[in-house]
Amino acid sequence: MKWNHSILINSLLVIAILFTSWSCEDDENAVIDRNYQLVWEDNFDGPAGTLPDAAKWTYDIGIGPGNDGWGNQELQYYTDRPENVSLDGAGNLAITARRESYAGRAFTSARINTKGVFDQAYGRFEARLKMPWGPGIWPAFWMLGSNINEVPWPQCGEIDIMEYRGQQPNLVHGSVHGPGYSGGAAITKSFGFTNDRFDVDFHVFAIEWGKDYIDYYVDENLYQRIKPEDVPGEWVYDHPFFIILNVAVGGNYVGFPTTQTPFPQQMLVDYVKIYQESN
Amino acid sequence: MKNIKLKISTYTLCTALAIFTMVSCERSLDELEPASFPTTAEVFIDAFTEGLNYGAFGGSKVTAFDVDSEVKYKGSASMKFAVPDAGDPQGAYAGGAYFTSVGRDLTGYDALTFWAKASKSATIDVVGFGNDFGESKHQVILRGVQVNTNWQKYIIPIPDASKLTQEKGMFFYSEGSEEGLGYTFWIDEVTFEKLGTIAHPRAAILEGQDQVISAETGQNLNIGGLKATFNMPSGVDQSVEAAPAYFTFSSSNTSVASVSSTGVVSVISAGIAVVTAKLGEVDAVGSMTINSTGQTVGPQTPAPTPTIGADSVISLFSNAYNNVTVDTWNTRWQFSTAEDFDLQVAGNDVKRYRDLNFVGIEFTSQTINASAMTHFHIDIWTPDPTDLPAAFRVLLVDFGANGTFDGGDDSSHELSFTRPTLVSEQWVSLDIPLSNFTGLVNRAHLAQLVLSGDLPNVYIDNVYFYKAGAVVTTGPTVAAPTPTRNSADVISIFSNTYTNIPGTDFNPDWGQATVVSQVPVAGNNTLLYSGLNYQGTQFASNLDASDMTHLHLDFWTNNSSSLNVFLISPGPVETPFTLSVPTSGWASVDIPLTNFSPVDLANLIQFKFDGNGDIYLDNIYFYKTGGGSGGTTPTTAAPTPTFNAANVISVFSDAYTNIAGTNLNPGWGQATQVSQVAIAGNNTLLYTGLNYQGIELGSSQNVSNMTHLHLDFWTANSTQLNVFIISPGPAEKLFSLTVPTSGWTSIDIPLTAFTPTVNLANVFQFKFEGNGNIYLDNILFHN
Repeated sequence: MKWNHSILINSLLVIAILFTSWSCEDDENAVIDRNYQLVWEDNFDGPAGTLPDAAKWTYDIGIGPGNDGWGNQELQYYTDRPENVSLDGAGNLAITARRESYAGRAFTSARINTKGVFDQAYGRFEARLKMPWGPGIWPAFWMLGSNINEVPWPQCGEIDIMEYRGQQPNLVHGSVHGPGYSGGAAITKSFGFTNDRFDVDFHVFAIEWGKDYIDYYVDENLYQRIKPEDVPGEWVYDHPFFIILNVAVGGNYVGFPTTQTPFPQQMLVDYVKIYQESN
Repeated sequence: MKNIKLKISTYTLCTALAIFTMVSCERSLDELEPASFPTTAEVFIDAFTEGLNYGAFGGSKVTAFDVDSEVKYKGSASMKFAVPDAGDPQGAYAGGAYFTSVGRDLTGYDALTFWAKASKSATIDVVGFGNDFGESKHQVILRGVQVNTNWQKYIIPIPDASKLTQEKGMFFYSEGSEEGLGYTFWIDEVTFEKLGTIAHPRAAILEGQDQVISAETGQNLNIGGLKATFNMPSGVDQSVEAAPAYFTFSSSNTSVASVSSTGVVSVISAGIAVVTAKLGEVDAVGSMTINSTGQTVGPQTPAPTPTIGADSVISLFSNAYNNVTVDTWNTRWQFSTAEDFDLQVAGNDVKRYRDLNFVGIEFTSQTINASAMTHFHIDIWTPDPTDLPAAFRVLLVDFGANGTFDGGDDSSHELSFTRPTLVSEQWVSLDIPLSNFTGLVNRAHLAQLVLSGDLPNVYIDNVYFYKAGAVVTTGPTVAAPTPTRNSADVISIFSNTYTNIPGTDFNPDWGQATVVSQVPVAGNNTLLYSGLNYQGTQFASNLDASDMTHLHLDFWTNNSSSLNVFLISPGPVETPFTLSVPTSGWASVDIPLTNFSPVDLANLIQFKFDGNGDIYLDNIYFYKTGGGSGGTTPTTAAPTPTFNAANVISVFSDAYTNIAGTNLNPGWGQATQVSQVAIAGNNTLLYTGLNYQGIELGSSQNVSNMTHLHLDFWTANSTQLNVFIISPGPAEKLFSLTVPTSGWTSIDIPLTAFTPTVNLANVFQFKFEGNGNIYLDNILFHN
C-alpha cells in the first residue's frame, strides 16, 4: 500500500494488466479443507452515526508522518469524525470520503487499524466489503508488519488483501511489498469481472497465510498464491501483522479524482474476521 | 471450530498477470424471456443489419453519410460522416437516423455502444437512439461527444431497458461544422450490449432543480430537463437526456394538478401539489411544486377611456394614445417574482402582473421628459383583498442629466396607496400630482417605474403622464386609421388619403339642427357632427358607384346612442344602415353596397346620417375588392433602421452591409415564392403564398453578444406568421408575429425569446412559417 515509485511505473503495470489476456478456461479447481478457528471479529453492529468499537480500532489522523500524503501523495485528510467513519445502523461500517475543505486539504476520509490492539501471524484474514466508485478513489483492506516502528517499511512487510481503483470498478488487486520488491515492484495480481462491478454488491476478500504461502481470494475464487520463491527478495511474512481499512483519495497509485468523481463515496464494511488454522 | 471449505484452483495460471473471471466470456442471451420481436443487438457492424433503414434529417446534407471500406475499426467497413462546411449549399450539417420498420426487443441490453474516430479532434453535437422518425417515444440523447483521431469506444446507457420492447430507433446523430469548417468522423461496431458494468442509476427532472411555480387553473406546465445518469465502466458518471416515456410522473395532489405520462402538468384547482418522477425504481432528483391560486379573477370591463387631449399626454401604455417606447414591462430583477401578461378586456389592451412583489418597468433607451407634465396616471384592478395595511406602491426614477443609471444625479420617490383609495375588483384610477413625488428632484430623464406592494395580482391600464388644466376634449385623440386600399379602386368622398370627388357640399340646408365642422384630430382632417339629429351630404354631380362593392366609414362617438347612414338615389330612394354606437375608439366599417338595395348605385346623389350625439367621421369612400390589387402592396418603404452599424449583424437590409453569401431561397421543399421587389426605391423581400421559407446564412453567426432580432414586416392578408432562428441540431424556436399588419410593423425581439433552445453562438438559419403574402425588410441582429 505504500508506493514510493513513479506514476509511470504504476501506469505501465496497469496497462500490462489490462492487456493481459482474460482467461476463459475453466479452472482446474480442487477443493481443499483448511480448518480455521475464529479468533477476532467485528460485525459493526450498533446505532447509526457512532464510531466503531474503540476496543478494537484506532485511527490514523492527518496526512501522514512525513506530511506527504502517507507516502503516496494522497490528497485526503484522515479524521476520526463520524462524518468520515461511523456505523451505518444496518450492520456495516461506512468509511466515507468527502470533498470538503479541511485542515488545508480538499478531501477528508478515514483510516482505521488494529495496531497495538490486535495482530497475528498466519491464518485467514477476511472482510466483506462493498466498494466506493469514481476516478481517484482508492479503498484498501491491508496489513503491515507490527514491528514497523523498529523495522522500517518495507522490511517490516506489507500484505494488501484488497486494493481497488475507482476508475476500474470491475478490478481488485492483491499484493505483497517487501525488501527489494516494494512500491511499483510489488508482487501483485488482479482479479476482475467482465460484466459486474465491486461497487454494486458486497464481496468477501480474504487471504489465507501460512509459513510459505499467501493465497488471495475474492469470494470463493482463489486467484493468486505467492510463495517465497515468487518474491525477488527476503520473505518477511513470518511475524504478526495488524489490519488497516481505509479509503484514500488521489495519490500515486490511483491518480487524481476528477470533477466527475461523485462525492461523498463510501466503502461499506459488513465484517472483519480473523481466523487461526488449527488441526 | 469452524470448518471452511473453499474451492481452490490448482496453481496453473496462464500467465503471471492473468485475470480470472467469474463468468464465461461468451455472452449468452438464452436467459432472456421469449419475445415476439427480434432481439437483434447489432445495428451496424460491417453493413446495415437486416431491416435497418437510414433517413437524413431535414436541412442536413443528405450525402453526408456513406459506408467506408477503407477506414474501419474492425471487420470490412465503417460508417463515414462527412460534416459539411458552414454554409454548404447542399445542407449545413450532417444528421440522420437509423431505424427499423419492425421493432426490436432491446430489454436484454443495458447500453448502445460504438467505436468512433475523426479526422480531427471535434465534439459531435448529438448522438443517441430512439429516434424512429415518428413518435420517438424512447429517445435518448448524448450531447457533446468528444472524438479525436484515435478509435475510442463510446457507451450510451439505456435509462430503462424494460421500456424497449419494440424499439425502432437504433441510432441517430447530428453534427455541424467545427468553427465553420467541415470534417469527417467514422463510427463502427454499433451494437446494443449487456455490459453489466454500468451502475448506480440516478435520474433528474427539471435538471435536478426543485422548482416552485405559481400557477392557476387551466395552466399547463411542461416537466423538462429529464436526465438519466449512470456510472460508466471507467468510474466516470455520464448523463443522457431521456424521453418522458422512461419516467413515471406523479402528483402529490391530483385534485390540484395532474401530470400526464409525457410530463405535462395540468393545473385543475387551487392548492399545492408537488410533481415528482421515478426512473424505474429510482427517485428522480428535482421537483415542481405548484402553488395554484385556482380560477383567475380579472376585470370584465375595460378601464375608463382617458379624456385628456393627446397633446397634453406622454403615454406609456394606453389604447387611447400613441405610446412612447418602453423597453420592458418586466425587468425581472433579482428577487422579483412578477410575471407579466398581455391580455385584452373587451377589446382593450391590459397588462396583468401575477406574483407581483415588485416589478421594474424601464424606458431607459428613450428616457421620458415629463418636465412639462403635472400628473402621473395609472388605472389598476386587483382581485386581492385591500384591507389595511395592504398597499400598492408606485416608484418613479429619474436618471438625471447623464441619462444613465447612477452617476450621482439620479433621483426617485415612492408613493404608497391603501384603502380607501384601493378597492378590490374595481378599476381604480390613480391621478397622482408629480409634486407628491417629493424626492423626484428631476423629471427630464425619467427611466424607471417600479410597482410593488402587497397585491400579488394587479391589472394595469392607461399609464401616462399628463398636464392638468389642458383642454379636455370629448373627441378622439388619435386620427382615424389610414386607409390602405389602392386608390385606383376607390371613389373617395372625404379622406386625407385619397383625392376626393370635387364639389361635395357637406352641409346642405335640409332644416337640420346638426352643427357641422371640420376639425384636425392628431393632424388629420376629420368631419364633426355636433348635436346630430340628421345631416345630409350633397354630391356635386350624380355618382356612379355601380362597379364598387363597399362603402367604408370611420366613425367615433362617445355619446351617441343611435346612428344610421343612408345612400340616396333620385326618387328619392334611400336605405339606412345602422352603425353600432357608442364606439370604443375609432370604429371602421365596410358596408357591402348590396345592403343599400334598392338604391340605384349607378346614380347616387346624396348621403344622409341620422341619430343623436356628437359624431366624428373620416375616410368616407366607396371601393371595390377583387383583382388582387386592393391594398396588398406597401406604398412606403420600411422605416430605415437607425442602429449604429458597429452594433449590427445584418441579414437583409439596404442600410447595412449584409452577411455575405446568404441564400434567401434554399430549397427546403417549400411552396413559398420568393422575390425581391423595390418598394419606394427600397429593396424588400417578398414571400408570396407563404407556407414556410428558410434563409441560410452565408456563414454561421455568433450573435451571443447581440440582444435583439429586428424585423420590419408588412402583410395585408396573413393570419399567421412565425419567425424562427436556428442553430445546428437543428435547434429552433419560434416567435409569433402579429398579423395582418396595419402598415409596416417594426419589431425588436429579445434574443432571450429563442434561448436556451437555440445556440446563439452558432446561428445558421432563419425560417418563416405561416400564410399569406409577406413583405420583409431590415432583418438584422443588434445590441
